[in-house]
Amino acid sequence: MGSAVDDAVLDELRAIIGDTDRVLDNVSSRAVRTRVPAPFPVHRWAQHMPDVAVLPTSAEEVSEVVKLANRLRIPIVPRAGGTGLSDGAVPLKGGICVDVKLMNQIHEVDLVDRTVTVGPGINMLKLNERLRPHGVFYPDDPASYPCSLVGGRIGTGGWSLLGSRYGHTRDLVISMEVVLPTGEIVHIGEGGGRKLRKSSTGLTLKHLFTGHQGTLGICTQATLELVPRPETEFAAFFAFSDYMDAWRTTGALTKSGLATLAGVVLFDEWKLRYLRRDDEAYIPQPEDVRAVIAVAMYGRRAEVEPASKIVMELGRENAGRYLGDEISQGDWASRHDRYATPLHGRTLDGQAVPMSWHCEDAALNYSVLPQVREEWHAIVDRYIREYGIFDDWGMFAYTNGAHKPWGDYLVEIDVGIWEQRLDDTNWEAWVRCKREIAEVSLKYGGSITACHGATRAGDAELVPTEMGTSWEVVKRIKRALDPNNVMNPGKQMLDEAYE
Amino acid sequence: MSDTSSNGHEREFAERWRDNAYGCFSSGHKFCREVCPVMQVTRNENHTPTAFHANIVAMEQGLVTVADVADDFVHCTQCGACELRCPNTLFTGDFYRHRTRTVDVVKAMRALMVETGNERPAWKLWNERLAADHNEPVLGDVPVSQEHVADWADGLDIPIGGETVLFVDCEAAFYRTSYSRAFAQLLQLAGVEFGLMREQWCCGGPAAEMGYADLARKHAEHNVADWRAVGAKRVIAPDPHDYIAFTEDYPALFGDDYEFEIVLGVELIAELVRDGRIRLTHPVERTVTYHDPCRLNKRKGIHEAPRELLRAIPGLTFKDVDRVTQWSYCSGGGGGLPIEKPAITAEIARRRVERASELEVDALISACPWSERPLSDVGALEVMDLFELVAVSAGVTVTA
Repeated sequence: MGSAVDDAVLDELRAIIGDTDRVLDNVSSRAVRTRVPAPFPVHRWAQHMPDVAVLPTSAEEVSEVVKLANRLRIPIVPRAGGTGLSDGAVPLKGGICVDVKLMNQIHEVDLVDRTVTVGPGINMLKLNERLRPHGVFYPDDPASYPCSLVGGRIGTGGWSLLGSRYGHTRDLVISMEVVLPTGEIVHIGEGGGRKLRKSSTGLTLKHLFTGHQGTLGICTQATLELVPRPETEFAAFFAFSDYMDAWRTTGALTKSGLATLAGVVLFDEWKLRYLRRDDEAYIPQPEDVRAVIAVAMYGRRAEVEPASKIVMELGRENAGRYLGDEISQGDWASRHDRYATPLHGRTLDGQAVPMSWHCEDAALNYSVLPQVREEWHAIVDRYIREYGIFDDWGMFAYTNGAHKPWGDYLVEIDVGIWEQRLDDTNWEAWVRCKREIAEVSLKYGGSITACHGATRAGDAELVPTEMGTSWEVVKRIKRALDPNNVMNPGKQMLDEAYE
Repeated sequence: MSDTSSNGHEREFAERWRDNAYGCFSSGHKFCREVCPVMQVTRNENHTPTAFHANIVAMEQGLVTVADVADDFVHCTQCGACELRCPNTLFTGDFYRHRTRTVDVVKAMRALMVETGNERPAWKLWNERLAADHNEPVLGDVPVSQEHVADWADGLDIPIGGETVLFVDCEAAFYRTSYSRAFAQLLQLAGVEFGLMREQWCCGGPAAEMGYADLARKHAEHNVADWRAVGAKRVIAPDPHDYIAFTEDYPALFGDDYEFEIVLGVELIAELVRDGRIRLTHPVERTVTYHDPCRLNKRKGIHEAPRELLRAIPGLTFKDVDRVTQWSYCSGGGGGLPIEKPAITAEIARRRVERASELEVDALISACPWSERPLSDVGALEVMDLFELVAVSAGVTVTA
């Protein structure tokens, strides 16, 4: 606790919200708005609770809550789905959790200019259920597609499995309504337009307000891209005995120039070992399968069908073996459900224990993938042997550039963590492990995070290093927009802006 | 109850459920949130299945008490959608013999609420009346009683006892009686021999769902004794809630000492139609959609038989919505929710009927009497039971 949320503040919040059911200061409401799926220091749970949660239903309510917080210097933590894989929605200094899930309305579907305007609390799957009869969809497609919410996607700067074809969250948001840290409600878009995809008027602010991890404001409405529902999809999985062969094929596929290519995913040997723990995965594959590539394309039949032949040819180069239609279509279709599962956790001696999931999400260039892979596995292996509460769940590399899949990758190493065994010593070990992984990314010219946000311990300390000469600019912007450091304080070392 | 003993209950509870809860807590993916019917209405994270499991971990750590979370655990219809949508259950459940047990956790927490003096007032009253009358007070202020439990069957000449006994749910016996009559008349048309119980008490399932475990056991023991006394070997349960009680709760209570074959009403009628013992010859020129009752579709995986019946009715235009889409649908009528939180039930039902109306149908067909009251109360669309519709097509005039 230790923040200034007292009875007088609670009374003011109730007056703003006007409904006591939407101002929650009881312990259960605070406890469940504490963690996200990222590894969590369970033994320090109480230190991460907000002091109160509010569930606003309008931008005006959000604005008044933020003004109150700004006036009294009370921390604000925005929370949408709470499904982030970093700590954007985890309170570090108590304060007011602004939970936007009730703002889940579809305000407008514009089939003429091809936009949909929604509140930040809506989920993409639910949105697409409503869009389906119109023959359009909103193609933001993370692994958390059935549970993450638009507001969180914008706050974290989300990455989509179909991003190579349709773009990622920031490419799919056309404009936004944002409540600034001082409480003003502002329009953020391309120039002054609400439904314009490009403008050169003024400054380009839109990217500033996507991926700030809740440190620059709270999105209260978003106008999003509508895309024609694809006539067809094509998915193919190829197996390789050698990672380097698979890596070369990944490069060939992404440089093929096929415009319907939605994404390429490269699985490494550790990932396949992990998946072999699951008898429902496609893994009853021979032991000599040491890498897999998944490719997906979306579009009109006239485009996808001829392109699929090229993909099949490229996939089979370098000794790639097609895994068949059933595995290809089935595993791609289940891509959202095939989430990391705690049941697959294993101790060094093979005992199954429930483990939480760390998902590294560095952005790295194609050229450095093989080297980073070796160094990352070596780090995790060292910690597994020393502490006995970690597990290496393998690596994925996903195409990262919107519409430009060839140059860089979202690179993921998944680490299982036995949270029930966490104490201060083990938690500090985990943070060190995390930091070493991130340092490798920086050493090879990468970025700590492609989409989750550099908000967890072990990442955050390195943000000034990664930002380098632009760190001063970042701090100036933060201080200018949030003079009292109330908006998600303590994240990404932005407190340095006030030193 | 003293604090110390309440703490003892909580510790024991947390210890019992912690591993199951941890499977959810440590992943925290929350796929369940958007299929949960309550959560779709309240959007309050306290009411997510994820929160229910997190609360157990928090209880283990001494962060919350049962009193702190009691109101949260009222927000559940026990429909089971969350368990189906859980990635743990979906993809690794069979392999590890693990199912995220949210429904059981909610029932157990509600039992703990009763044990520790954290009862909810409307549930307390409801179960006091159940204890007194042995049937649920489904008629509100109008008392129900054993004297009238078989009134629905007046004039149908159904004997008492026999090898096959028909169990008619409280809601169907006292409130939605046309449903029970349609079902019984269909059985008679097919020449199925069956009888009624001497004294039919509530199945006890709803009491168990609200946390009144002792009361539920008492009713279960009575009913089983009555079945044995009349020589029953088979029990026909037209109502999905009873079917859950007889196939899950009773076996858990009695173990090997439970010898009855339990037959689900809708599967029996589908079989009789399939075998030509009920012939659907009267066209029904209507356009309908089907509401998958949660306890059939989500809890028991039963979705074929109702659709088979609907497709067998001549003249009927059936606009189906697939069973997986319907994981996120609910009437709001289950788990005692309408007793404690009627406004949430009404909104869940309103949304369900709205989905049906979008299909431009003239009736919503259900196969669960407990769903039919909230769905009918919406008032926007006619709600019929599947048995009533089948009776029309079979040429049975359901007599009042």
